[in-house]
Amino acid sequence: MSTHSTRSARDTAQSADILRLENVTKRFGSVTAIDDLSFTIRDGDIVGFIGPNGAGKSTTFDCVSGALAPTSGSVYYRGEDVTGRPQHALVRRGIARTYQTFRPLNDRTILENVALSQVPNSLFSLTDFRADTEERAREICERVGLEEYLSQTPDELPHAGLLRLEVGRALGTDPDLLLIDEPFAGLTSDEIDQTVKLFCSLREDGMTLVVIDHNMHGLLDLVDRVVVISFGEKIAQGTPEEIHNDPTVQEAYLGGEL
Amino acid sequence: MTRRNIESHRIVGIVCLIGLASAPFLLGILTLRQLTAALFLGMFAMSWDYVSGYTGQLSFGHSMFFGIGGYTAAVLNLNVGLSPVVTILAGTVAAGIAGLLVGVPALRLRGPYLALITLIAPLVLVQIVNIYPDMLGGEGGLQGMDLLVAVDEPIGVLSAVGFESAFEHRVVVYYYVALLLFLAIYALFYVFTRSYVGSVFTAIREDEDAVAAVGVDAAKFKLFAFTMSGVVGGLAAATLVHTPLAGAAPERLLVLPVSIEVVLIGFLGGMGTITGPAATGIVFYFVRDTLQASDAVIPLVGLPVGEVWEVLFYSIALLVLFALPRGVLPWLSDLSRTVRDRNDPSAEPISETH
Repeated sequence: MSTHSTRSARDTAQSADILRLENVTKRFGSVTAIDDLSFTIRDGDIVGFIGPNGAGKSTTFDCVSGALAPTSGSVYYRGEDVTGRPQHALVRRGIARTYQTFRPLNDRTILENVALSQVPNSLFSLTDFRADTEERAREICERVGLEEYLSQTPDELPHAGLLRLEVGRALGTDPDLLLIDEPFAGLTSDEIDQTVKLFCSLREDGMTLVVIDHNMHGLLDLVDRVVVISFGEKIAQGTPEEIHNDPTVQEAYLGGEL
Repeated sequence: MTRRNIESHRIVGIVCLIGLASAPFLLGILTLRQLTAALFLGMFAMSWDYVSGYTGQLSFGHSMFFGIGGYTAAVLNLNVGLSPVVTILAGTVAAGIAGLLVGVPALRLRGPYLALITLIAPLVLVQIVNIYPDMLGGEGGLQGMDLLVAVDEPIGVLSAVGFESAFEHRVVVYYYVALLLFLAIYALFYVFTRSYVGSVFTAIREDEDAVAAVGVDAAKFKLFAFTMSGVVGGLAAATLVHTPLAGAAPERLLVLPVSIEVVLIGFLGGMGTITGPAATGIVFYFVRDTLQASDAVIPLVGLPVGEVWEVLFYSIALLVLFALPRGVLPWLSDLSRTVRDRNDPSAEPISETH
């Protein structure tokens, strides 16, 4: 259903915006986490969303995914104002996310963790939960590289496996837009390569990805465009090359490790 | 879960079922009467486990559902003259409405908010009962409701199988009423908790963010669990007041210790298992009754057990909790697994628990 709409959207307008933030501000008491942030994400892109620690990257994800309502400003998804809609509703519309601090369900196996993404959001449903949803969950596990861990529990998984589980559970919701919060932290360069490959293959399926990171090391080969924020404000947006040469960005990173 | 594991569960289940079904022929009539009351405690405990054990949303005031169900039925029967079947239905619905009224505001929020709200709600109800003693019976409670099934005359079939007096017949009949209700509730909860609904409940207990992230409205499922739990608790209590066992009295349905008991039974039996609290509720009732009625004297201190039973009883409960923090049923389940693995080292390891 959602893949179909993605495809038709890609056919008609290659560069249509899938996500648009307009003047989004989020305050926690007197602390302004995001300040008047506006940017657009084009359908089918992989976008790097970078900024130093505490810049407001995850808070922005929270506002887009519906975990938090923005204090002011608007979020548009496929042209529709979805500001402040609850997360579960946005997931059904096609916005999925992963968490930087992983959220595995430790009481069940990897397969059952992923299978949760197949449950209906209704209290009474006659869909045969066991049979085909398990098959689907198995496929997803294979796709993200968890096939050897199916009957293990999350606490038996290596760090990279937990990331795959996060991505797998998000994929299970059949998203059009996937927000991935800092996937490369703590991965070896081998694991980063594999993860990059996985993300690229998702894009080939028509998915739009927004990937958070501190810096652009892991992102250069992966992303089409980059949005840079610092102290809750957007300071630059463009192709990786443009960003690399941007003096404001270099200053934000204190001339350091961009 | 392996096939063998399922089979052994099934065998234990069938044995228990046969035992319960034939209890009138195995137990003395007064013990049977106790068992009837114990079944109701088991139902209360199951209703608590369905919401708190599974979703992790702790209710410290489940007596509000028992009280509302029981009192609604009693008052409608005594004051309006409605028949027990109608009043039981009304009590059940009233408890469900209470579940919605408390659950809608309390379950939108996360954390210990529900625990606090449920702790307070029954306190209000106890006071209301005292404010209207004429209608609600005050501390003494309401007595004299119609019985669900009138057993005035000896029943032929029961006389034929050896039960003599009308009293005995009544005990047997109400035992089966309670058993049927107990099994129906057990089956209902079992079906729901073993379906995808149960997997959402336990996912809520583990991590609500993960539930939202897969597009499921956790608040809706929590409200459903809470309300359905209330409906079932109300049903059990409304039925109870139409049996010869108990009237609608605060100390049986409403006061804080009633709520604490079901929480305690839930923890002791094993949260999120239904079976554990159901069985533990029955055992709990007998242990308590035995201590309460005991005329033994504790050596050295010279105190009669019957007078200090509460100290003994809750101390035993504490010890069990310290020793088996996950509850009796999960412990038994692990134990049987260990024994089986030892006897048959080739058996594959089991990763799932229930």
